[in-house]
Parts: sequence; C-alpha cells; structure tokens
Amino acid sequence: MKEFISKKGIYIAIAAILVAIAAAVTVAVTGGHAGFASLLSEPFFKPVKSALTSLVGSLEHAYDYIYRYDEMEAENQRLRARIAELERDYREYTEISEENARLRALLGFAGRHEDLVMEPVTVVSWTASNFSSSFTISKGSSSGVELYDPVVTENGYLVGQVTSVTSTSATVTTVIDTSLRIGALISEGGVTGVLSGDYDLFRSGLMKLSYLGEDGSLIIGSTVVTSGSGGVYPAGLVVGTISGIAVGSSGLDPYAIVEPSADISGVTHVYVITDFAVNE
Amino acid sequence: MSEGKRRAAVKIFILGPYLVLLYLLQATVFPRVLLFGAKPMILPLAAVGVALFGGCVEGGVFGLFAGMLMDLACNQPTVEFTLLLTFTGLLLGTLSDTALVQGFPSFLLSAVAELVLCSAFQVLILAVLRGAPPMLLLGAALRQCLSSLVFAIPFYYISRFLSRIM
Repeated sequence: MKEFISKKGIYIAIAAILVAIAAAVTVAVTGGHAGFASLLSEPFFKPVKSALTSLVGSLEHAYDYIYRYDEMEAENQRLRARIAELERDYREYTEISEENARLRALLGFAGRHEDLVMEPVTVVSWTASNFSSSFTISKGSSSGVELYDPVVTENGYLVGQVTSVTSTSATVTTVIDTSLRIGALISEGGVTGVLSGDYDLFRSGLMKLSYLGEDGSLIIGSTVVTSGSGGVYPAGLVVGTISGIAVGSSGLDPYAIVEPSADISGVTHVYVITDFAVNE
Repeated sequence: MSEGKRRAAVKIFILGPYLVLLYLLQATVFPRVLLFGAKPMILPLAAVGVALFGGCVEGGVFGLFAGMLMDLACNQPTVEFTLLLTFTGLLLGTLSDTALVQGFPSFLLSAVAELVLCSAFQVLILAVLRGAPPMLLLGAALRQCLSSLVFAIPFYYISRFLSRIM
C-alpha cells in the first residue's frame, strides 16, 4: 500500500494537479463560463443528454397517460360535449337570426300589402330539367296552397306561380320559365306589357317584357311590377328591373330585357300568397 | 323458392334501392351541379348500364321506372322519359343479349345515343307543344349531353359491379 501510494499516488497526484491547472487555465480563458471538463465532454454528451431528456419527457408523458388516462378521457368527453352544445347553439342562433331577418322583411312587405294572406314554405327540390325552371315546395292543398297561387320572397319579389298541387307539396314554376305569362307594368311611366320567359334569355336567368301596350319610354333600371290584370297576381308585386332593350326579329316590336329582383336559383324559403283582394 | 324466383328477388332488392338512391341524387344534388352550364342526367346513364349488363327484361323494367322517376325529377307532366327509357332499355337489352359486347366502348356508344335521343326528344316536345324554336334549344341540349357524359365512366363500373353481384 505504501509502495502503491509512493509510486502510483505520485502519478495520480501529478495528473490531478495537471487537470486542475488545465481547468483553471480554461476557466480563465473562457471568462469563467465553462470548465475544462464541460468543454471536453459537451460535444460528446450533448446529443446523448438531449436524447435522454426527450426520453424522460416521453416517459413522463406516458406515465401521465397511463395514470391520468381516465381523468383525461373524462375531461375530453366533457369538452366534446361542450363543443357539440356550442355548435348546436350556434346553428340555432344562425337559423333564428336568418329567420328573424326574413320575418322582418316580410313584416315590412306585409305592412304595405295588408290584403295578402301568405303561407311560408321551404323549397324542397329543384327540377332536373335543363329546359324549364321550377321547384317543389314543402306544403300543398292541405295547407291552403292552390293552383296558380303567386309565390314571393320575404321582400315581396315575385318568384313564380304554383302550377301543380298535391295534398302535401306543390310545384312552383318560376318567372323565367317560358310557360309563364304575367301582366306587367313599368312603375316609372306606366307602360304595360306581358312578361314571359324566353328560350334565348333563359340561360342567363332573364325575362322578356313584350307586347308593350302604349308608347312610352323604356328606361334601363326601371322597376317592373305586376299589373294585377286578370286577377291571377296581386297588383304591385315587384318582378324585376329593366336591364336592356332590344328589338324582335321583325324589327318592329321592341321589348325590354328584365332581370328578376328575386334570386331565382338561390331561394330556399318563399311565401305562397293564398288569398288577396282583387282590384280591377 | 325456385332459382328463377330467387334471382328475380335478389335483382329487385339490389336494383330497387339503387334506383331510389339515383332518383334522390337526381332530384336533390344534381339540379345544383352545373357542368358546361347544364345539369347532368344520371338516370338515363344508369338505365343504359342496367340494360347493357342485364339484358332485355331488366333493361325494359328498369328503364320504365327510371323514366318515371326522371319525369318526376323534371317536374313535368309529360311522360317523355318514361317512354324513351323503357323502349331504349328494351332495345339495348335485346342488342346486349344478341349482338352487343358488354364492354366500355359499347356502354359509351349506347350512353351517347341515349343522351342524344333524350335531348332530341325534349327539344322536339318543346317545339311541338310550346312552339319553341329548336335551333335555340340545341345549345342547351348539347351542353346537357356533355355534362351527363362526364359520369359515363363511374356508371359503367357501377353497372358492371351490380351485374356481377346479382
């Protein structure tokens, strides 16, 4: 032992002193930020330490997952239920908000036309035909809907006319369909005419105001309303605005191109006018 | 139950719901789908597929119901599709039983013929009953054929699959 200390111990002591000196020098050189050992070991150990830290983190996560799973599952269920509840509330709110806007518009329209009796309906489906424009509504004769009843939007814009009825549903042919004829009046100037769909204008969703009854100026932007003649439509329902003026193939019969005020292809809720006062 | 009755029952249980599903799609989804500016017609394509792979009787019966539902989906009082799809179903089914190869070229050719016939029939009826100028309607008829033909490939495979499981 004595021999060991005397021989090996000296070497170890020398080595320790050298290491201590190296450490002191390194600390002095780096301004005290890093020791000799850390400078030597860091490049080798850093990746291992990172990996270990990551592994420990994963193990902790796994531990939490295993021992707190039930708790987290319950919380997850609660949050999912809450999200579903909020989504349902939001949907209800949106529907109520939309309905509110429709009813407010209807109230304004109904206030101006107190003689109209209206039945709210929803659009169930649209025609599959490329040559006609019609849709099916959710109510029929059992709700008071009758053949040839006019159909309007909440703003009172004319959409079309009921052309077939069953007890629980009805078909509405829209104003751009070529089979409808509507007695019309240009509100500015009082020119009368017949509104109808046209095969040429059909694709663009426009109508034709022809058979203009008397001389008068056709002004682009003028409002076209129902004249009420014939008693099929109430007078004064807005149909559309004049968007162009053209002349027929004979060159003698001018007609106006009318753009419907209602968004014909986009309506989802409409009102069937089941009764109104006829003023002729 | 005899083998013939059992097979007929299987066909009804497969083709019935298939037809109802197609009608619902035709009446609710496809009116909102515009391809080349026209709404596609899928019921005539399905009728072609059933006639080609099923033969005369299946083609005729399926064509009859598909035609009725197509007329219903079009909200029209006429029975143009009922007549047309029944007779073309019978004809195509007979050709399939005797001369026509049950492959995609035959299906595509038959589908084109069926769609052109349907469109021509619609134009003819509008021209005769409502005095519509046929030339103005030809563009819409052409667009209708093109938009429907987009679905020829899926309907070929659906029809072939159905014929194999029946």
